[in-house]
Amino acid sequence: MSELKPRKDLLDIEGLELPEIEYVLSNAVPFKQLFQRSVKKVPTLRGKTVLNLFYEPSTRTSSSFEVAANRMSADVTNFTVSSSSVVKGESLLDTIETLQAMRSDYIVIRHQAAGVPNIVASHTGASVINAGDGYHAHPTQALLDAMTFREVYPDYQGRKMVIVGDVLHSRVARSTSTLFNKLGIEVGVLGPGTLIPPGRHDFIRRFRSWDEVFEWKPDAVYLLRVQLERQEGMFFPSIAEYHKMYGMNTERLVRMRQIGAYLMHPGPVNRGVEITDEAMRYERSLISTQVENGIAVRMAVLHWLKPETDTD
Amino acid sequence: MAAATPRLFQNGQIASAGAKELRAADVLVDENGEIVAVGVGLEVPSGAEVIDCRGCVLVPGMFDVNVHAREPGQEHKETLATCSAAALRGGVTGVVLMPDTAPPIDTGNLVKSAMDLVAELSAIPMWQAGCLTKGREGKEMAGFSGMASRGVPMLTDADRSVPCPDLLRRCMEYARDFDLLVTSHCDTPPLSKAGSINEGPVSYRFGLPGIPAISQEIAIDRDIRVAQHTGAKLHLQQISTARGLKSVQCAKEAGTPVTCEVSPHHLVLTEQDIRDYNTHFKFNPPLRPAADVEALIEGFIDGSIDVLASAHAPHTEFEKSSDFGSAPFGAAGLETAVPVMFDRFISKGIFGWDLLIERYSAAPRRLVGLNPVAIEEGTKAQFFVFDPEGETPVTRETMKTKSPVSPFLGKTLAGKVRGTALGVAWHSQE
Amino acid sequence: MSDPADSLQEVILSPEEISAGVRELARQIAYRCAGDEVAFIGIYTRGVTLARRVAQALKEQGLHYPVGTLDISLYRDDFDNRGSDLPTLESSDVPFALDGIRVILFDEVIFTGRTIRAALDGLMDYGRPAKIELAVLVDRGHREIPIQPDYVAKRVGTTRDQYVKVRFREDDGGEEGVFLATPRKIPTA
Repeated sequence: MSELKPRKDLLDIEGLELPEIEYVLSNAVPFKQLFQRSVKKVPTLRGKTVLNLFYEPSTRTSSSFEVAANRMSADVTNFTVSSSSVVKGESLLDTIETLQAMRSDYIVIRHQAAGVPNIVASHTGASVINAGDGYHAHPTQALLDAMTFREVYPDYQGRKMVIVGDVLHSRVARSTSTLFNKLGIEVGVLGPGTLIPPGRHDFIRRFRSWDEVFEWKPDAVYLLRVQLERQEGMFFPSIAEYHKMYGMNTERLVRMRQIGAYLMHPGPVNRGVEITDEAMRYERSLISTQVENGIAVRMAVLHWLKPETDTD
Repeated sequence: MAAATPRLFQNGQIASAGAKELRAADVLVDENGEIVAVGVGLEVPSGAEVIDCRGCVLVPGMFDVNVHAREPGQEHKETLATCSAAALRGGVTGVVLMPDTAPPIDTGNLVKSAMDLVAELSAIPMWQAGCLTKGREGKEMAGFSGMASRGVPMLTDADRSVPCPDLLRRCMEYARDFDLLVTSHCDTPPLSKAGSINEGPVSYRFGLPGIPAISQEIAIDRDIRVAQHTGAKLHLQQISTARGLKSVQCAKEAGTPVTCEVSPHHLVLTEQDIRDYNTHFKFNPPLRPAADVEALIEGFIDGSIDVLASAHAPHTEFEKSSDFGSAPFGAAGLETAVPVMFDRFISKGIFGWDLLIERYSAAPRRLVGLNPVAIEEGTKAQFFVFDPEGETPVTRETMKTKSPVSPFLGKTLAGKVRGTALGVAWHSQE
Repeated sequence: MSDPADSLQEVILSPEEISAGVRELARQIAYRCAGDEVAFIGIYTRGVTLARRVAQALKEQGLHYPVGTLDISLYRDDFDNRGSDLPTLESSDVPFALDGIRVILFDEVIFTGRTIRAALDGLMDYGRPAKIELAVLVDRGHREIPIQPDYVAKRVGTTRDQYVKVRFREDDGGEEGVFLATPRKIPTA
């Protein structure tokens, strides 16, 4: 038993305390072991309902939550709202009212605007899990990244990871670097100056080239997905130049092997942009482990959060 | 108001722009709304209403040069009636209305219609500002001469910078001939874009696109240079950064006829005060880091900043209830300006009533060509009674504005405007 | 559950009596399971210790029974009522195939039977044993569902509000023993 304050929502990493993080990450391990059984399901959330509310298409994350909820015997409703039908967030309160009527116990929400999960959480007794909001946060991604890192490095404290790419617009980079910092893992970043956040972030070391990165000898390299549609031209001259400067290619793979670094990516990858086909087959790639751990972590999160839904 | 009676404001302390010390005196306002006697131990005229002002300060009515009353066209947010009620609760007895109504006020006829509405609906005097460009679209110059003949106190595109420097230059050159004040809301749209919060570590933490300081600073520099080139009188709204203020100081040292204002929220709040995506803290220009706020306070005290203005910009609670990025900028500020300044500065002895009266009553009136008001014999009553021991709760229920949206919501501010005397009327807040 | 500070405690089993109880369970099992393929499954936490001790006692007689572990938290029927004590999950470890064999579940105390109900559900998700039996150190009565132990070291008559606490060296440190706690009567207003 752990003495933790019951928590209703998971909105970001910043608000989490270390014992809570440890709790979820350690519980994720037995959840992952269930996947080895022929019966992968447990009855824990029988009769509970999980609403997958996605304002941004994301097959991966929404499926991961769906599998996690199914494996805990919850009923899952998928509710995908195309952004065109949403008038600039103004109908948010109306949507929340509709959701209330559905009496879901857990609401998994992804939205293009930062802070929307906070608003939903404050208007509902259901447990709200942020599945990505704008540039703000993606806490379950950070948790699955930490689980993955700790699996390969049980002595994770004091180890180093470098995040490569669009750190500025990445909720993954925000949440994962915050969590890794809390766990005592040093985080550096590599990317063009246009895509590195303004101001000082004292836990983040900034590198300007792969040479500097390899000299630092990170234990893992975390490639971010390049948002092709909105960045070419404004933040870097071309995809080709980005690939040349920051992509994971054959030559860099050789140096990855030399230092024994693992490779991570939140998916889905842009082959030929941030990563080459060859690098996808790197023997120390953790990309598919991340996907598997995503389900375990999300089960642990569903198990941990305590909805304040009326049972009357 | 028919059958007015004389009123004696007894045992109060009179504040004024010129005097550091308060002066103990009774003030007698006759049935015509004129101050007929100021002195210690005045006799109570027969039939006079006596207002006990023991322990209270009598302060000349404030004047706010940056107010969005939303009427005509956006009466769901605010009306002239609710706006003037909010002003009276805050001790404000005159305002300049921004022209960003629907339609925008960009011709002499529209100014006249707007002033007719004011005469009909407002409890306080209001002056209608006119647009610099037609429809505030930043494409063509608006009808200056017509608006000048209707007595507009300033021309401004209210919340929008004139994007084209050439058009701005022509506007200033043309306005100079009418001796019209050009007022700029400084912003560089390609830099502020989708931003909703000061750009920096806080915007990064919230995951919100930021508005960089240079967005306002570049526009300040540009507008000052154009004003220097054209010789126009320029007023800059809502200075929010130390570097922007520095530009104004340099221009003043060079003898440029430029003035600037600051809003109470930029003097007492920082970006760190934004919590949990509370859209009541979403302003344009945004709340800035503490170092900027310190520089603004210093500038407010030393006179680099001429004027305090509330930037009263109500939006409905529903409009503000959307996510931070989508919510509109601005909040109600008229009724909280004086209590906020008292709570944060005067009650703590950082400066006195004299400075606040200079910045929020005298200087803004001079800015638009009016005479400052004082509590003196032979003048029209235009003052408010402030109880330093009282409290101003800021709640949905107590706010007079139609849209109770404020970063101070839920707080109780030190001090209270007990009522405002305006001519024959006594607008009690008790 | 009662706070021990507010309760009177009496010893039901001394350390020596616990050892005797373990030997008794070993004796019953050896007798009744002779010739069968048997595996033990201990329910976290003290059921695991009990299973290991019984297995050890049997090993000393040259009988080898593998021991697996089962965390039944995910199968409990009182998930909604969890308070601030959040269950930390343990790794269930069933390193042998259950299909067709005789499985003996171990728990230190049987009370309402609900834990065993959850354990049966959990166990079935690992396979289909030929037979499942239950061994406990203490049966304190008050069943709420029709589940009975097959092997019992000690039966104790209790009242519903009493609490039976087993302390094992491996799990709790310090002095071993089985205690019966009776809450002090607090007059209700």
